[in-house]
Amino acid sequence: MKKNLLIFTLVLFSSAFIFGQNKKAAVDHSQVKGLTCKTCHSCDIPTKENPCLINCPRDLMVTIYQKPKDAPAEIIINKVKDNKDLYTPVKFTHLAHAEMAEMSGGCISCHHYNPPGDVIPCSNCHEPKRKREDITKPDLKGAYHRLCNDCHRAWSGKNDCNACHTLNAQYAGGKKQPIISKDKKRIHPEIKTPEIIKYETPKTNKGKMVNFAHTQHINTFGLECQSCHKNDACIKCHDQRDKSNAKPATFTQKHKNCLACHDTNNNSKCNMCHTNDAKDVRFNHKARTGFDLSKFHSKLSCVRCHTTKGKFTGLSSKCSSCHGAWDLTNFNHAKTGLKFDETHAEFECESCHKDAVYNKPDCSDCHDDKTYPKDKPGKLVR
Amino acid sequence: MPKQSRRDFFKTTAALSAVTAGVTSTKIKAESKDYIPDKAMGVLIDTTACIGCRRCEWACKVAHDMPTASLDTYNDRTVFNEMRRPDHTALTIVNEYPGKELDQFPIDVKFQCMHCNSPACVSACIVKAFHKHPNGTVTWDGDKCIGCRYCMVACPFQIPAFEFDKAIEPDIKKCDFCFERTKVGKLPACVEICPNEVLTYGKREELIDIAHKRIELYPDKYIDHVFGEFEVGGTSWMYLSSKEMPKLGLPDLPRATAPGVSESIQHGLFAYFVPPLALYAILGGVMWINKNRKNSDTEE
Repeated sequence: MKKNLLIFTLVLFSSAFIFGQNKKAAVDHSQVKGLTCKTCHSCDIPTKENPCLINCPRDLMVTIYQKPKDAPAEIIINKVKDNKDLYTPVKFTHLAHAEMAEMSGGCISCHHYNPPGDVIPCSNCHEPKRKREDITKPDLKGAYHRLCNDCHRAWSGKNDCNACHTLNAQYAGGKKQPIISKDKKRIHPEIKTPEIIKYETPKTNKGKMVNFAHTQHINTFGLECQSCHKNDACIKCHDQRDKSNAKPATFTQKHKNCLACHDTNNNSKCNMCHTNDAKDVRFNHKARTGFDLSKFHSKLSCVRCHTTKGKFTGLSSKCSSCHGAWDLTNFNHAKTGLKFDETHAEFECESCHKDAVYNKPDCSDCHDDKTYPKDKPGKLVR
Repeated sequence: MPKQSRRDFFKTTAALSAVTAGVTSTKIKAESKDYIPDKAMGVLIDTTACIGCRRCEWACKVAHDMPTASLDTYNDRTVFNEMRRPDHTALTIVNEYPGKELDQFPIDVKFQCMHCNSPACVSACIVKAFHKHPNGTVTWDGDKCIGCRYCMVACPFQIPAFEFDKAIEPDIKKCDFCFERTKVGKLPACVEICPNEVLTYGKREELIDIAHKRIELYPDKYIDHVFGEFEVGGTSWMYLSSKEMPKLGLPDLPRATAPGVSESIQHGLFAYFVPPLALYAILGGVMWINKNRKNSDTEE
């Protein structure tokens, strides 16, 4: 019994100790959910000084997302040093690259997994020396170059070291060794989104072109670039290689992005997109169906309401058909942008909204001289 | 008639002699006594990371005091238009092959002496000018060499190169795994310069483990084959790739050691001098029969 008590006390003390340490640690552990300590730490009591982090890749990982502006605008990469270095250190425009990464995977494109807390520098895991004990992962020089070359090689198809480096030998003896530098504030120019993209489809007999209403899709469905372009590399736009020998995409690859909403496998529906003329195919949900998505439904994917894939017709525009019956208890009117004053807070919905779609309210039941939106039954909160 | 290369010719003749000598049951040596797992070093070449910058070619020439053009000229990618082989002017070369898919990057493959666990050159050399060191390196000694070039024929990768253009004291040139550098604790020159660390230098046994671990982690990236793990009894230099090795200029070779095959043929051919004796006996018998027939002809 005494032994049990001793163990209990020990456990109590050590957990208190761990808790205390956690408070000091740079990692915000509130973001870490559903994992045990052992997922990330190898020892029993990780401290700030010795966090004993398990090397990547781990089985499970917590990934967090940061804004490009949170990170330094530029970094001088000079950790790989050798007396006989051929090249000078590189000035890396981090901000510009982070903004470009936003187009695809974000921080994790380079900082694998990007776990919570301070961003782990590459040199924490990748050793600066090539001759080393642990050869399971690339050294720092190799790790840097592999990351850069993944895109820069694709960019021009060249292996031009001078694109990032300056030769040391050219400046031997000089005290100031120039580092190739580009403007600190240089960012990726804003990408202009096309209104309509015309895909020519000469091979199919379903119609000679597809007119894709790009801007309309973004606005109507509240899409982010990554929603469709998450796997695009830089060369999607910057490819200078010969594309003539590129392998033709398969049917599934071509329709991958449409498939999420459209039933592209149904042969009878091809002419929804495939036509022979450049007709305006822009789809306006409000104009065509009378239901305006832009107010409260823009972030929803199609299938949240149109639950049968490929079948878009037949939904009632009544709120209750999706949301169930609304009444005073389950509807927070402030969410619509208007918070009631005390007088109006107790009324049933139907007192003012006479129709089932909760459009413009009718004040005439109580007020002879007041109309909406000139007069409001409360105050606007957004 | 299909074109028969010099190599094919040697192969066929060797195989034929093997059959005539009746050595099919002779065991082929599997493991070399020269291979010491604890000491043998190696290099793992991950061809998926190679960008074909050819800095290894430059570093190799500099390290071996061979004439070389300036570093900038190595940016020229037109050299990839034709397939090259290591020769007496370049101990290592990089070739470029089409990518896995047509729209993917080409695959660049560095090629040099593989430093076999049981080197055929060492076995074939009649004056012991080739030596296999405990760290896996195979070196050539110019003082002993008589220039017979048996090593060139024996090598399954056709690596040793002869300086044909030198009339006086021509050398056999091949990668020496930077023996002089590794002796003093330095890395081989190509391993040291590689920007992407395509080349990983380490204990051969450890590299094999790493290679299989990488295949296991990224099954879509690599094909499940570590070239050089078993080929011709194992080699110090090994390859990982995204495409079948024979399409990247790495020959499809058996697991049996190269000298194992040639030695077993030679030893079988002359085993206890029985096959030659048997051959003479058969020929003698034929002569005797013919002679008898002639005699009976004259009698009639």
